[in-house]
Amino acid sequence: MLAFLGRSAIQKLITLFFVSVVSFLVIHLAPGEPSQINPLNPKFTQEVLDRYRKEFHLDQPLQIQYLYFYRDLFSGKSVSWVDNRPVLEKILERTLNSLPLFILGTLITWTLSFPIGIRAAIQRGGLYDRTTTFFAYLLISIPGFFFAYILIILVVREFHVSVIGMDTFGLSAEGWAPPLMDRLWHMLLPSVLGAAGGIAVLSRYVRNQMLEVENQDYVRTAKAKGLSADKVHYKHALRNALLPFVTMFGLILPGLIGGSVIIESIFSWPGMGRLAYEAILARDYPVILADNFISAILVLVGTFISDLLYMVVDPRIRL
Amino acid sequence: MTDPEINRTPALADGTAPEGGMIEAPKRTILQESWALFRKNRLAMAGMVIFIVFFIIAVIGVLLTTGRSPYFDAAQVRLQEKLLPPLAKASLKNLHSDEVPRLGVYLLGTDELGRDVFSRMLQGSWVSLTVGFVAVGIAILIGVFLGGMAGFYGNYRIRTGHLLMLALLGGGIYALGSGKIVVGAALTVLGTALVGLLTMNRRVSIGLPFLLHNLFSVDVLIVGLVDIMLCFPSFFLILTVVALLPPSIYNIMAIIGLTSWMGATRFVRAEFLSLRERDFVTAARALGISDWRIIFRHMVPNAMAPVFVSATIGIATAILTEAGLSFLGFGVPPPHATWGNILSDGKDYIFDAPWLTFVPGFAILVVVLAFNLFGEGLRDALNPRLRERR
Repeated sequence: MLAFLGRSAIQKLITLFFVSVVSFLVIHLAPGEPSQINPLNPKFTQEVLDRYRKEFHLDQPLQIQYLYFYRDLFSGKSVSWVDNRPVLEKILERTLNSLPLFILGTLITWTLSFPIGIRAAIQRGGLYDRTTTFFAYLLISIPGFFFAYILIILVVREFHVSVIGMDTFGLSAEGWAPPLMDRLWHMLLPSVLGAAGGIAVLSRYVRNQMLEVENQDYVRTAKAKGLSADKVHYKHALRNALLPFVTMFGLILPGLIGGSVIIESIFSWPGMGRLAYEAILARDYPVILADNFISAILVLVGTFISDLLYMVVDPRIRL
Repeated sequence: MTDPEINRTPALADGTAPEGGMIEAPKRTILQESWALFRKNRLAMAGMVIFIVFFIIAVIGVLLTTGRSPYFDAAQVRLQEKLLPPLAKASLKNLHSDEVPRLGVYLLGTDELGRDVFSRMLQGSWVSLTVGFVAVGIAILIGVFLGGMAGFYGNYRIRTGHLLMLALLGGGIYALGSGKIVVGAALTVLGTALVGLLTMNRRVSIGLPFLLHNLFSVDVLIVGLVDIMLCFPSFFLILTVVALLPPSIYNIMAIIGLTSWMGATRFVRAEFLSLRERDFVTAARALGISDWRIIFRHMVPNAMAPVFVSATIGIATAILTEAGLSFLGFGVPPPHATWGNILSDGKDYIFDAPWLTFVPGFAILVVVLAFNLFGEGLRDALNPRLRERR
């Protein structure tokens, strides 16, 4: 067990190192550099450019720039090239904005997927199963931005509420209830959109897991000894089918800093995805690289946790 | 898929050999059997039909909308005819004779510059099709190559000498490229000498034992590469690279391809690991067939089933990614239409001209859905477990 933990940790650190190198190279080897972002600006004389390049170590060789960057990142001194604010502070602020969307979206995904998947599996081949299968494919296939506009048209036409941004601009109602309701309306569409793909994938996965377990001998035994259908499905089958989902708690971790670029752009939601998008447009290398690095850490920690959970819940697995 | 081996295996596996000991070939080939299974799946069949129709439309579309005087002119601006709903008649009074749309009707309406949406959709269908196919083609090529290496040569050890050789050659080429001829030539010669030394017998390089120090296997290297790539948030990575490179459709194809080969690599590796131990590969080895021939003639055709499935679904994902990039304004440069940028341009008129959102949106949805259904149908039809259960 300890040996596995140690080996896995070392492996993940090596992977992380290479991720940092690759992302650094990808960004710095692409043509153009941030000092050329606005060549027509008359204030950008050669001296200003040189000072700028010196300030951000852009005149140094790549390997030195790499060391500078990660030294600054780890000591928390790395600043955004756009507004000179610390990168980690910026990312934290935007992540806190994205977090409610992520939490609401995850809740919607997990509470809807399980009932849908279980019912589809129990009524295998029936009308319900076929309908949900088709809708699952539909949800996977629909472009997020198109779905967003359909929902916007629907909600704005039918309910006459505003949905763009985090709050309605200039809302001046008394009490605590109206602003809360307003915020909830604004959160609803982006969360639903974020959850749509998840519902489709997860409910299919639940269905397939249930089907797998329902074919097992012990379920047949349970049926044969005359247990009620509910007991067979929910006590004998479901409990075993749930096993792989425990590990998925680790895999949703990267979503914490994800934040969809497209959805947050459409809804003008000042979250992590928007920050990444703005950073890309402005060639704000520290923010892009820090975002990439943190999400790589979360992916690696997530798989690590999911491996661990697998070992804890399934005694058959010995690594 | 027409490899003789693949037809032989089920006869042996099913144990359908009659009493006499002669093994009789199955009545139907695997291909026919899969097709029969596939045909029963109505959704998958619908997906395939839509896929074929889309293919034909895209090819016709590119023929009719390119050239000096295209049949349907997608770039013709008619400001007096802007934002007309679908099926609106072109008003012949306001237009020059060469501005009148080919059919006299705007089948799918016009956009904010009075361009014919129908022509633009035709033009865009080719972009979606080629992006999907080229990107997935690149991903599959890389996937088959790396997965095959990991599966077939996975046990080979990478030694210190190999890394040194790579470093010398790479440094040499870099030095040559940056003008330091002497240093570059020296490094390249050293590297080449090392190649010779390493390919020669173990006894020759016994004087330099550190060169033969085993580091890790090829398998570890390639699996590590896959793990590294999987750490990147894919859409964010694609967006970053696309934004940094000059806007061009070829860049987008290449980038989507270069960031989505991980699935194919894993599938091919897994298939190769199991195929490597099969009897027909051993037999081929015993006959003295070269490694390359075994890989490409005997193993790759048998490993392609899961790759085809993931390729079909990969095309759907690539089309969605391209549409998303176009939507954010990073797609094909403006005069050329793509489904993503038609929708993106139309979003400002979402309440006044909803067709500008719905036409491209539904087109993307239908095509992607068709590819997904087709792919899932293929997966079921090619799955031997389902075939036996039938």
